[in-house]
Amino acid sequence: MTGRGFDRPRFLVVVTALVYVFLFAPIVVVVLFSFNGARSLQVLDGLSLRWYEEFWQDESLRESLIASIEIAAITTVVATALGTGLALGTMRSRTRTARATGLFLLIPLVTPEIVAGVSAFVLFAQLGVALSLTTVILAHITFSISYVTIVVRGRLASLGPELEEAALDLGATPWQAVRLVTLPALWPAVLAAAMIVFALSFDDFVLSFFTTGETPQPLPVRIYSALRFGISPTINAVGTLMLLVSLGFIALAALLPRLLGRRESGVAVLTGSRTA
Amino acid sequence: MSTERTAPAGTGDWAVELEDATKRFGGFTAVDRMSLQIERGEFFSLLGPSGCGKTTTLRLIAGFEQPTEGAIRLDGEDVAKVPPYRRHVNTVFQSYALFEHLDLVENVAFGLRRRKVAKGEIKQRVAQALELVALDHRATARPAELSGGQRQRVALARALVNRPSVLLLDEPLGALDLKLRKQMQVELKRIQREVGITFVYVTHDQEEALAMSDRIAVMSDGVIEQLGAPEDVYEHPVKAFVAGFIGISNLLPGTVEQGAVRLSTGALVPAPVPDGVPEGAEVQLSVRPEKLLVEELEHGMATVEGTVAERVYMGTATQLIIELAPGARLVALEQNTARARADDRWELGDRVRVGWHPEHGQVLR
Repeated sequence: MTGRGFDRPRFLVVVTALVYVFLFAPIVVVVLFSFNGARSLQVLDGLSLRWYEEFWQDESLRESLIASIEIAAITTVVATALGTGLALGTMRSRTRTARATGLFLLIPLVTPEIVAGVSAFVLFAQLGVALSLTTVILAHITFSISYVTIVVRGRLASLGPELEEAALDLGATPWQAVRLVTLPALWPAVLAAAMIVFALSFDDFVLSFFTTGETPQPLPVRIYSALRFGISPTINAVGTLMLLVSLGFIALAALLPRLLGRRESGVAVLTGSRTA
Repeated sequence: MSTERTAPAGTGDWAVELEDATKRFGGFTAVDRMSLQIERGEFFSLLGPSGCGKTTTLRLIAGFEQPTEGAIRLDGEDVAKVPPYRRHVNTVFQSYALFEHLDLVENVAFGLRRRKVAKGEIKQRVAQALELVALDHRATARPAELSGGQRQRVALARALVNRPSVLLLDEPLGALDLKLRKQMQVELKRIQREVGITFVYVTHDQEEALAMSDRIAVMSDGVIEQLGAPEDVYEHPVKAFVAGFIGISNLLPGTVEQGAVRLSTGALVPAPVPDGVPEGAEVQLSVRPEKLLVEELEHGMATVEGTVAERVYMGTATQLIIELAPGARLVALEQNTARARADDRWELGDRVRVGWHPEHGQVLR
C-alpha cells in the first residue's frame, strides 16, 4: 500500500477540513473585519486600526475589558485552589460523605446557567447585597469549582494512591506527602483546570448578566448593552482582543510547565496528547 | 554500606512478628488470624495466588492498613497505632511509585531529607545507594528516562538508603520481562546479603520465591498453608494446595491401606503415611514430575502402569503425560541429557511402567 492505506480514507481529510472551516470561519471574519478601514460589516475596504482606537477611547468599554480580566483572574485563582482542595479531600477520604460530595459536584455542571444566574440574583437580593463586580466574582467562583474538582480528580484517580503511600513510607507526614509529591504530580491538571475556568469566566454572559452592578460591567454584558444601540465595528475589535486575552492565557498555561522544567503541560492534559 | 548491620538493636526477638493479625474489609476477610515471626536478616517470602492476602499482610507491616484484630510488632514494639511515616520499614512498590518530578538523586534522598539527615551525609549515602544498584552514572536523570529494570533499581535504592530494619517488597519484579527478572533475582539476593537487612518479599511466582528465600510462607484465603525453607515446601508439601501451587505436582487420589496407599486406579503403592492418618482415610498422593522414572525401575519403587498420552518437548526437558486410567494422569519430566533425548524414547500410545521411590511421595489429606 502506498501512502494512503485502508486505514486513512480520503473523506476523513475532507470532513476534518470542513469541521475546521465551520469552527474557525466566524472567528476569522471577526478578526479580519476588526482591521477594516470602512464602517461596513460586509465589505472589506483597506486595513486600519481605527476600530481599536475607537475602542481605546471608549472609557466604559476599556473599563469593562479590565473588569472582565480581573473577574476571570480572581475566579481562576480562588476556584482552582478550592476545587483542588476539594478533589484531594473527596478522593482520599473513604467515607460515604465524601462520595456523596463527589456526586453533588456534578449538579452545578448540569444546572442550566440561566437557573444558576437567577438563583444567584435572588440570593444576593435576599441577603441585601448590592450587585457589583464582587457579586459577579462570587457567582463565577461558585460555578467554577466543580470544573476544577472534576478535572483534578480525574488526574488523581489515574495517579492512584501509591505515590502518596510511597511518600508516607519514606517518612513524609500526610501534609508533606500532598505538598511534596501529590501536588507536583497534579500540577498539569491544576493548570488545565485553571485554563478552563479562566476561559469560562472571561466570556461568561448569563451569570454575569444577573449578578453585575451598573458600572463597570463585565465585557460580554457591556457588549450586549452596546448592541441595543446598533452594531459598531468596534465590536470586532473587542472580540479580537478577547480572543487574544484567552489565547494569551492558554499560552501561559502551556509555557509555564516548560519554564519550570516539566515535560507535561496543562494543554497536553486537556487535549490528551503527551509532549515528550 | 556492605558490612554494617543497619537495623537498630531492637529489644524484641524478631524483626517482624504477627500475632493473630486479622484484616477485614467489610465482610471480606483478607488476612485471617495470621501469626508468624520473621528473623533479623532473613529473606522471607509471602507466596500465593492473587487475592490470597499476601499484599494486605505486607501493607499491615508497612502501616498502610491497620489490623482489625491482633498485634503487629516490629523489633518487639507493637506498631498497630504507629503511622507508616514513623515506622522503621520501607517499601518497594509493585508500580515503583517513583516521583517523576524529581531526578534520581532527589528520589533517593527523599526519605533522608524527611528525617533531617545532615546534608553531607545525605549526599554520601545517596551516592552509595545509587552505586549499589549500579545507577550512579544516571544520577541526574528523571525516572521517565529510565528503562523498567532501572526504575525498579531506583525504587530499591530509594528504600534501602534509609537503612530500614525491614524492607518490604511487593512483587517488585512483576513488571519486568523474564530474562531481566532472572537477573534481578540474583541481584536482589546479592544486595540483601550485602546490606543484611530483613527482606519481606511478596510474590505469586513460586520459582522466584524458591530461588531467593530463606523461608517461604505459602498463603491462600488469608491464612498460611505452609511455612518453611524452600526445600521443605517443595519437597514436602503438607497440603494439596501447596503441592499444586508450588511447581507441578501429580495428585493421585486413593485410600490408606496397610500403611500404604491404594490408588483409585487399583494399584497399591508404598508411601510414607504420616502418623495419625487412619486406615481407610481418603488421601491424595503427591509426587513431583521430576521424581518419576519411566521404565528405569529400581528395587523398592512404587510402580504404576500407563500409556503415553502426550509428549511435550521443552528444550532442556521433555514432559510426558501418562494416562493410568481414564481421567487419571501422571506428568513425568525427563531431562534431555547428552546421552538421551526423551522425545525420541517414547511414542504416543506406548505402554510404560512408571516408578518412584516411596519417600518422594507425599501423603496429603
